[in-house]
Formats: sequence, C-alpha cells, structure tokens
Amino acid sequence: MNNITINYDSTFISNLQNSLEKDGPFSSWELFNMAYQAEQTTMTKEFYGLRALEFLPNIEFLPHQIDTAKQAIELMNGRAILADEVGLGKTIEAGLILKEYMIRGLVKKALILVPASLVNQWVKELNEKFYIPAVAHRKNYNWDQYEIVVSSIDTAKRDPHREAILDIDYDFLLIDEAHKLKNHKTKNYEFVRSLKKKYCLLLTATPVQNKLIEIFNLVSILKPGHLGNYDSFVQQYGKDRKKINQDIYLKQLIQKVMVRNTRHGTSLNNAKRHIETVWVDFSEEEQEVYRQLDTTVQPFSTFSKITFLREICSSREACYLSLQKLANNDNQDYLKPIIEKIEQLPHHAKAEKVVELIKQIGDEKVIIFTEYRASQLYLQWYLQQHGITSVPFRGGFKRRKKDWMRQLFKDRAQVLIATEAGGEGINLQFCNYMINYDLPWNPMRLEQRIGRIHRYGQEKDVHIYNFAIKGTVEEHIMKLLYEKINLFEQVIGHLDDILAELEIKDLETEIQSIFNDSSSTGEAKIKLDNLTSIISNTHNTEHEEQQQYGNI
Amino acid sequence: MAISNLNSFLEDYFTAHHCKILNNENGLLQIQLTEEMDKALMNRPFYWHYIKKMGHPGDPMQLTLRTNPTHPDPKGEKIHFGSPRLQQILNHLKNNERFTKLFQRVQATTNTALHPWLVTNIKISYIGKQKKDELFSLGLNLVNGVMKSEMMEQLNQIDLQAAISDYCYTISPLIKVESGFNRIKTVLDDYLQNQEHHWATESLKELKKEIELLKHFYHDQTEQEEVRIQKEIEEITDRYHPKIEVSVINGGIFYLKPEFHHIEKK
Repeated sequence: MNNITINYDSTFISNLQNSLEKDGPFSSWELFNMAYQAEQTTMTKEFYGLRALEFLPNIEFLPHQIDTAKQAIELMNGRAILADEVGLGKTIEAGLILKEYMIRGLVKKALILVPASLVNQWVKELNEKFYIPAVAHRKNYNWDQYEIVVSSIDTAKRDPHREAILDIDYDFLLIDEAHKLKNHKTKNYEFVRSLKKKYCLLLTATPVQNKLIEIFNLVSILKPGHLGNYDSFVQQYGKDRKKINQDIYLKQLIQKVMVRNTRHGTSLNNAKRHIETVWVDFSEEEQEVYRQLDTTVQPFSTFSKITFLREICSSREACYLSLQKLANNDNQDYLKPIIEKIEQLPHHAKAEKVVELIKQIGDEKVIIFTEYRASQLYLQWYLQQHGITSVPFRGGFKRRKKDWMRQLFKDRAQVLIATEAGGEGINLQFCNYMINYDLPWNPMRLEQRIGRIHRYGQEKDVHIYNFAIKGTVEEHIMKLLYEKINLFEQVIGHLDDILAELEIKDLETEIQSIFNDSSSTGEAKIKLDNLTSIISNTHNTEHEEQQQYGNI
Repeated sequence: MAISNLNSFLEDYFTAHHCKILNNENGLLQIQLTEEMDKALMNRPFYWHYIKKMGHPGDPMQLTLRTNPTHPDPKGEKIHFGSPRLQQILNHLKNNERFTKLFQRVQATTNTALHPWLVTNIKISYIGKQKKDELFSLGLNLVNGVMKSEMMEQLNQIDLQAAISDYCYTISPLIKVESGFNRIKTVLDDYLQNQEHHWATESLKELKKEIELLKHFYHDQTEQEEVRIQKEIEEITDRYHPKIEVSVINGGIFYLKPEFHHIEKK
C-alpha cells in the first residue's frame, strides 16, 4: 500500500462550495442522475477483457484478432510486435488495442507513424471503423494540437518536427512497416528509440526473414534488455537466423513480445483463391515479330533483348516505345524493319483475351495488373473501344489521386488497370476478380497483388487469372517458376525466408541474369529449372522449422 | 443502473434539455434542438457567430437518431454504445451536470423539516499494468453525521425538485460542506488501506523486472546512455507504477425528510 500513489480530486469540493454560494447553476435531478448513469456506462469494471468490443458493434472481429489484442494488452502490457502475415488485419488488431486503451482512459496522446502512402488510409480506418479521431499531420499543424496524429516517419524525423515530437510524452506509439527499423545504426531507428512513449506497437509482416540481430533491434525498442545487450546477444547467438529455431529459450523470449498469426492458423481461409492459368496464342504476325526480335537483336546486350521480349508479350506499344528510344539514341538502322513490322501489328492477342474474359465474368469488378505503363494506356483505350469502363492506377499517383481512383473504381468503373501493386497500396476488398496481364518475375510481388483483394474483409472467393503466351519467355516463367514449385499454393508465404536462406537478394534480378548469361533458351531453361528445384527443396526442409516458430 | 435502454435515455436527455421530440417510433428518434443544444452538439460555431452578428435569432437544427439498427427507414444517424454521437452526449453530461441542490418533494400540511445531505458520486481508478474503476455514491447527513452508501439508488425512490415544497423548511447544517467532504475522504481512505492490492504488487514486480533488464542492456554507461536509461526508467515507471485516482463525478446538497435514512437499500 505504501508504494501506491493516491491522488484525490482536489477541485471538486471548492467548486461545489462556489456554486452553493452563488446559488447556482445547478443540475436538475434528471440530468444529474443521467450523468451518473453515463459514468456507470463508460467505467471499466474489470482489469481484464476487451471493453472495446461493446463499443464497436459494427466490426466483425475474427477470433485471432481478438486474441492478439488481448495478448498484447494483458500479457505484453501494451508493448508488442504484431507480425501477422499480410492480409490478416494487423491494422484491425492495432486499432482495437488503441481503442481499448482509449476507453480505459490510459491513452490520450498517440503518434502513429506509417509509410507516406498509407497515412490517409490509416486516418480513414481509425475514424470510420474505430471512431478514433485521428488526423493526418499537415504542414502547419502543431504536433501537440491534436491528440491522435498520423504521419510518415520521414516527415516526423525531420527538423523542425523532430524536436517538437521529442518534447511530447506519448501514451501510445505505433510504427507500421517496422521492419524498416531493423538496422540500429539508421536515423530512423535512433529517432524511434528517442521518442517518449508508454505503450508501443510495432507492425511488420516479415519478421522471420530478418536476421536475428534485426529482431534483437526491434525488441530493444520495446523492452531493452529483454534479449540481453548487444554484445552478449551477438556472442551467444551470432547473427545467424537459424538459431531461433534451435534455441527454444530464445524463441520463448521472442514470443513474449511478438504475436504472429499465419493464414494457415486462422479462419481467413474462408475466402478461397481460385487460380487459373490462361494460355494465349500469338497471332502469326506477332509470332513472327517475336521470333525476329529473338534472333536479330543480337548486337545489343542480352539484357535489352529479354526486356524487349517481355514487352512484346505485353503490348505492341510497350515494345515499340523502347525500340524507338533505342533507335533514336544510337541511330541503329537495323531496328527499322522490326519497328515497322510492329507498327503494322493488329490487336494484341492478350488484349483480345482480356475482353473475352471480362465479358464472361459479367458485371463483376475486375482488377488488371500489368508491368508496363504503355500496356496500361493501350488496355484502357482498347477496353473503352469495347464499351468497358476502366480507371488507371499507378504507384506514382499522389495519395489523393489514389483515393479518388479507388472511389471511381468502386462507384463507377468496372475495371481498374494498375501498373504497380505497390505492396503498401490500396485495399480493394470489394473486388474479387483479378487478371494478371503479365506476371512479375518476383512471386512476392504477385502475392502482394493478390493481397490487395484476398485479405481481411473479403467475403467472397477470389478468382485470379494469370495470362501467359505460349512459346515465349512467359511460358518458361509460368511453367518453371510458378507452376513447378507450386508457388501459388504453399511456398509464397515462406519465399522471403527461403530467399534469405539461399542468400538471394532479389529473385527478379536473379532470373534476369540467368537469361542474360545464357547463350540459348535451352540453357536458360535448365538454369531456371535448377533454381526452382533449390527453392522447393529449401522450402521443404524449412517448412518444418517454421511450423514451430509461427504461433504461440 | 447503467444505461440499459438507449432510446429512452436519449428521449429523457433531450426532454430534460427542453428539446421537442418530433417523432419517436421503433427506435427512430427525431428531435428539434434548442439553440443551446445545437451549440452543444452540432459543432457549428461559425454559423452561430455569423447569424448573431447579423441580428438573426438563428435556426437550430433537427437531429434524427436511429437506435434501432434494423429500422427500415435508413435516414438518421446510427447511434449506439461507442458511436461518436453518444460519446459526445455522455461527455456533455459528465462535463455539465456536476453540481446540484435539490429538495425532496413533500405533500405537507404542517411544518416539515428537511435535513441537508452532502451527496458525492466518486470514482476510484486502480491503475497498474491494467486499469479498473469502481463507483461509489456516498451521502453524509450534515446534521447528525450519518453516512450512507448507494445514495443514488435510494434517491431514485423519492421525488426530487429544484424548489422547496410548501410548509417545508431546511435545518442548517452543523457540519460544514468541506469538513463533510473530509469525512467522506477518511472513509474512502480506510477502504483503500484495508484492501489487498494484488494488482499493485503484480505491477511493482513487473516494474522491478524491467528495470533490471534495462540495467543489463546498458552495461558500459556513457553519458549518452545515462540519458537514455533515465528516459527508459521514466517510461517503465509511467507504465507500471501503481496509482489510485479518486475523482468526484458529481455531487451536491440534497434536502431530505428525516425519515430518509430508513429507506431500505435495494
């Protein structure tokens, strides 16, 4: 009892005496009684449990989201790494936790640092779903003007914001995409460490891919010393990520500050993925151009060659623009015949297929992803010719334009044509058809695309159509990379880990160089084949280890 | 006694604020606001500023609230526990209805004395790792020093009004309001001292543990680290140090018949 600080309300009685002396103003019995009822209604009767659930009848939380919030509050005392796989609703979990603290009166001042592209989305979700009056930071605002502020870390860490923010005692700090803080020598890390905070949530989708020392750095933001100090940690565990699986004790320690739900262990499986490969045949003229590109474009680097081949598989326009550019720069006359041929090509086989497929799908909303802007423009025009409405979407759009395009797509247009999933982009749960007009060479990017629609909040099954043209580079990628290792089904969630294990930094570059370094298509095929074998092998051995690591 | 029927609670609230209920059926409540309530709830200070400057009386808005989420008519604001509008109304109540002076309504034909009571509604918050609240409604007879708990429940069983009834007179308090409040505080103090505060013990344990971890984390203490450690210790203390906060929700003087303290607790 001696250790407890007791504060008595000291102002009430003198204020009451004041009112009595002045003989008013006094509340009527009805209102006086109602104020008491209001307090009875909003007070928190128990130490444990989530009151926020009664306050948010409009949200249907999934069981794993409620469990996560409880764990973070009751077992981790408000400092936790939320590390769910993409699309399981980390934002929802974080919102629920913040709401609970606000209802209990434990959080008034909160700072929410998220990637710039997500600021508006966070503000919107907190306000609309959670009734949390969050505001986006604007240039002329003072940092202490609003209680709940959302900003990008890049803005926050710059002067003069930095000083202002470091002066404030925050009750709650949230960092989205926290894996960017993994390196303790960066300015961002230093900045976050200096912030004065009570409760703290770090959100990241990819903690397992991190090196062990990076996990150490994240944990040290929440609970310095929990994993020992830097030197003792490096000495004991080295920097090898595998140690996590070998050392049960270390794993348990990490699980005390980290919650990770996997798609596998949650009820999100309800909305299924139907993935279908759509094979397209080039027309004869197109086939001819493809062959010509493949054979005559020898004088310039193979790097360009593989690019042109990919482009012609996407649209005439994409390839034409690159070739034209090259021809203008270097005055290379030998390109002229090919360029002329391209000019005369009829409509692209894939575009025709798209229209056919959309007509089949009917009135449903469809997202089309393409790798090239030229193809995006072409498709927009081509769809319009066939009476299909569409809006464009690019990673480079300003935030407001992105929001606007999303709204247009939701309310007006049938199709959204996007060039960049942008990983951290928009959520399009209202749509459940996706056409991958051309496939990215990094399967993680495909997963991010799919994650835009197959995520928490998606109520229907999602249909994914992956386009590939027979007898081209696309066929190799489809058959060797995607189909062989069954990427769509199982590996995808683990790909990051596998690549880290194999010390492959970027799969796309890896594949690019396979094509570049191979003198024939046959050679490239064999190399690709080898690569995918290694990946699926590593996956199988890794898989068992991962299973112990995932959930608590 | 927490709010159980939101619709009638809202109806009572707006009626008590002299707003006209235009429509009230099946969980759809349509209210004509008064100027005062428009200013309190509708968040349009510029309108009122402007209209008054122009010399107009102003035009208070109507408010349509939907307590029944399945009402077929989609018009109106949905209102439920946790919705911003209800939050606003509850805060409006808590901020404004803090003090009162009331008299028991008495049908008397002969002179009747009324005793002054100091009534306080008090919230105790226990804040450690987690937090919980307790609510007490305590009354003290300022003439004879009798103290009662659950005052609000008992006051709900009699009629109260702002003016004194005919043939009634009030007895002057022998205990001053301030010393009355001190007596209430003493009772609360006793109550707090005599509890086992497991929650606080738990929090202190956690506090100690994290500070020890912290010292292990920073081993060679440079000046810069010293500052860091201090900051971390403050944060840990802020998060775990057990606190009890005693706040008064509202209170006032109630003039009640001498028989009042025979009213049975529910």
